[in-house]
Amino acid sequence: MSTAVDVDVLIVGAGPVGLYGAYYAGFRGLSVALIDSLPEAGGQVTAMYPEKLIFDVAGFPAIKGRELVAGLVAQAAAFEPRYLLGRQAVALQQQPDGAMVVTADDGTAINCRAVIISGGIGTFTPRPLPAGGEYVNRGLFYFVPSLAEHAGRDIVIVGGGDSAFDWALNLEPIARSVTLVHRRPAFRAHAHTVAQVRASRTEIITPAQVTAVRGVDRVEEVDISIDGESRTLPAQTLIAALGFLANLGPLKDWGMTVVAHRHIPVDTTMLTDLPGVFAAGDIADYPGKVRLIAVGFGEVATAVNNAAVLIDPSAHLFPGHSSDAVPA
Amino acid sequence: MPYVIAAPCIDVTDKSCIEECPVDCIYEGDRKLYINPKECIDCGACEPVCPVEAISQDRRVAAEYGEHVADNAAFFTTTLPGRDAPLGNPGGATALGPVGVDTELVAGSET
Repeated sequence: MSTAVDVDVLIVGAGPVGLYGAYYAGFRGLSVALIDSLPEAGGQVTAMYPEKLIFDVAGFPAIKGRELVAGLVAQAAAFEPRYLLGRQAVALQQQPDGAMVVTADDGTAINCRAVIISGGIGTFTPRPLPAGGEYVNRGLFYFVPSLAEHAGRDIVIVGGGDSAFDWALNLEPIARSVTLVHRRPAFRAHAHTVAQVRASRTEIITPAQVTAVRGVDRVEEVDISIDGESRTLPAQTLIAALGFLANLGPLKDWGMTVVAHRHIPVDTTMLTDLPGVFAAGDIADYPGKVRLIAVGFGEVATAVNNAAVLIDPSAHLFPGHSSDAVPA
Repeated sequence: MPYVIAAPCIDVTDKSCIEECPVDCIYEGDRKLYINPKECIDCGACEPVCPVEAISQDRRVAAEYGEHVADNAAFFTTTLPGRDAPLGNPGGATALGPVGVDTELVAGSET
């Protein structure tokens, strides 16, 4: 079923830069929506290093990835941005009067006056589990947006990163059993989380791989191979947390110039070579570009302020100081 | 500031790193794997999974492996044996497939 969303600004990519852009658009009095193919806000930070400490964000001597994202979400919340998560921006249509329509993969049409692409390294697709792909959403999951759905089940989690261990830790209290399977004895997950999982009921099996998935309608059991030996585990839930592959996806067909398969050139206003379409953060490119979160924050503020003037030519480019205003 | 694969990978090519790389920028030679420095996003996902600890950030490469910083780049910027042109930045190793040859430095390394 298709729905329509009407906003002044659509931000494509809900990573740190996109989230800050949502705050900034709100501060400028613009209505804003954020679209992201991942089911949670935070982009690369949430997907790849939620537990890593970041030392180069202005004002924070050290901050964990997930805390930075939580702070950005809270900062933007005052202006009630519309989140379109788990959805991919597929197509862009531009009308001569400057109005634009972006269509999402679920049919949602977003009507807007400006688009800011803060797409980082592109759209994230979970790396597929080699065995059992046909059971997706019938017992095989790549994301766990709701823990309760898996209560009382035998759960097998595949992977050795933060997502695998976070889900093991959070599901263990409500599951019948949790088994974590990883192809190597070394884990990329945060050492503290690994220690917590080891101390729980969760069984960790390494070096092991899932070789087969069976079940009539849904996943019922999985075969794993441990150093060539086979073992069958009961499983009503199988979670594959094998990381992500990123690529520009449909954005590369929107018509703006893309360089090196990954970057979108912008001018000093962060405008791309498509009218009304700006870019900021890791995806934006210009001579001397430095790819840091801190730089992206500045770029998206520049993009939003220039978009504000584009939408309303009588608006000032300089927004005034946030310390003069009381957020709504 | 890309990551670099150094000599310990030679004749090992475990490929766990390839499974971790979110941008598919680790390319397969004959005896060694190579990270494309123009495509690497410096996320570090590959480093801890290497069973022979061959991977490090370019500015932290052990002195004895220093020449591998330039050599990873050379895999893409020089014309490898049997090819007409440098690989450049193919935008993904999976689509390209194993390259099957190495840089001069790696090809000439002792086992």
